Amino acid sequence: MFRSNNVVARIFQRQICTPAPGTSVHCARRFYENLVPSCTIYDVECPDHSFRKFTDDGQYLISFSRNNQDLIVYRPTWLSFSCKEEDCDSYDLPLKAKRFESFFTQLYCVSLASSNEFICKDFFLYMESNQFGLFATSTAQIHDAPATGGAVQGIPSIEKITFHLLRLEDGFRLDERVFHNDFVNLTHSMGVFLYDDLLAIVSLRYQTIHILQIRDSGNLVDVRAIGTFCREDDELFLNSNAQRVAGPHQLPRNHVENGLDHNQINMNNSFLSGIKQRLLSFIFRSISNEETDKTLRMQCLKKKFYFRFQDYVDLIVWKAQFLDRHHLLIKFGSVDGGVSRNADQYPAFFAVYNMETTEIISFYQNSADELYLLFEHFCDHFHATSRNPLSMSFISSHSNNIHALEQLRSIKNKSSSFSQFVKKMMASLPFSCQSQSPSPYFDQSLFRFDEKLISATDRHRQSTDHPIKFISRRHPYSLKFKIKPGPEAGSTDGQTKKICSFVFHPILPLALSIQQTLFLQSSVVNIHFRR
Amino acid sequence: MGSTLGDWPSFDPHNFSQLRPSDPSNPSKMIPATYHPTHDRTLPPPDQVISTETKNILLRHFYQRAEEKLRPKRAASEHLTPEHGCKQPRASASD
Repeated sequence: MFRSNNVVARIFQRQICTPAPGTSVHCARRFYENLVPSCTIYDVECPDHSFRKFTDDGQYLISFSRNNQDLIVYRPTWLSFSCKEEDCDSYDLPLKAKRFESFFTQLYCVSLASSNEFICKDFFLYMESNQFGLFATSTAQIHDAPATGGAVQGIPSIEKITFHLLRLEDGFRLDERVFHNDFVNLTHSMGVFLYDDLLAIVSLRYQTIHILQIRDSGNLVDVRAIGTFCREDDELFLNSNAQRVAGPHQLPRNHVENGLDHNQINMNNSFLSGIKQRLLSFIFRSISNEETDKTLRMQCLKKKFYFRFQDYVDLIVWKAQFLDRHHLLIKFGSVDGGVSRNADQYPAFFAVYNMETTEIISFYQNSADELYLLFEHFCDHFHATSRNPLSMSFISSHSNNIHALEQLRSIKNKSSSFSQFVKKMMASLPFSCQSQSPSPYFDQSLFRFDEKLISATDRHRQSTDHPIKFISRRHPYSLKFKIKPGPEAGSTDGQTKKICSFVFHPILPLALSIQQTLFLQSSVVNIHFRR
Repeated sequence: MGSTLGDWPSFDPHNFSQLRPSDPSNPSKMIPATYHPTHDRTLPPPDQVISTETKNILLRHFYQRAEEKLRPKRAASEHLTPEHGCKQPRASASD
């Protein structure tokens, strides 16, 4: 749409040209080719906090204190300074302007964790519609915890996990939800998925997916707990029947509490959990429907179902995400792979579960070609985007961006075995929510950059001394800006490994790069902005 | 230029130079064709309501595959999928 690369010419052209239908946001984002964070303030003096990320609407910068007990929230602003000279652009910024406080004003500091608890630095979820933030604090992990009370053997236990819901405007605590002697995978918010106002928390230890709703008032309300029971009234039904079976003389009616406990223990021994029953019956029906001949069908069932029955029974829920308000994509695997970092070697299965009808809709192994085809064509639908934030649908993925698709195709062609490639791709499912930055500087149709050094996913990366180049995708394919983490002169100590993380503002041409050595706490923070 | 576009400025002076002004004495032979239905078999039903499908395309694919997989292939296999009735407690041995 734009004939020229000059920003003024583009503004004039914008006055008279209408972009092609459905591309108005894409055209507006092209202005980011002109406004780039090319200026860097190296090693800015800033409070010694770990800066986590900007909220997706760009209103707040979330950071945690070094001792992981306090939350500090800043408001991103912009620097202002005056210059009395005639040609101000050629002059360097005055020293007074080159400060952290020029860009950020502290709003408040709230203590989230008490003495023996720590804030999980990797965990933060933002509900944009109400400006609520969800944080997690936990006590230390206990490995080799005994499997009591229905827990799965082999999963560690955490004495207390607390989810805090805060109003980010003023840091007011709205609600909290505590899990005792449980285990939720909090690293990179993997065990929790936020979709609109629905929260899915996967309790690995008790194999339950807790669905909660965040109300506008700020309350966390239980919706359902999928695991042992699927429907809300399953427990009531089973208990009322078990009491009838046991007889009134064994379980006095007025001691209902004790009776329920007793029945629960009985049921855990004899019944498979509700979700497991649904899964096994789905597998059975789909296998038995494959063959029309009775004897062939029995053979098929023996080979594919009964022979592997115990393996299917031993599957546990690893991770879950929402596909829409009623459907969950659940990843199943063995107990060993549930907590290991490198889960690729373990077989995994995916199931689509409808929460309303409590039915399993589909079941695939992680090497299934069918599932990969759906992933390739409809990747954006796996990134379940809620109705509100527009920016989410513009995060580059291979379903909405030709360059990302070409990258995927080149990986596919380079891989030696297609099934290994499929497994590698499926390892990223189910997606963790809010793990990608919506900054337009990561838009693959605008800029080209080295994905190994920097990308939209917020993970720590190996730091290099060379600046990371962002090259424009369109003519004239020139270097637009560079991001250099670490001190300006480069690090004097070339031996120690350094990792760096990048925090990009979703809207403004503003980014932070934080470089730190693995063992020392000190970090070098650079501010990259457009002057 | 004398064309129907008048003397409007153009980015390139050679644009629209091929355009001949429309001549009222020689009317254009082009009459747009109109089509009329000859039957009413394809009329929509009077109570038809068009609404957006609530399931997104990914879920539609999952449901489609599930239907293909679980569609009973012959009549006798119907007894494998019992009727979804309301929950009825089974008669227990002690009763």
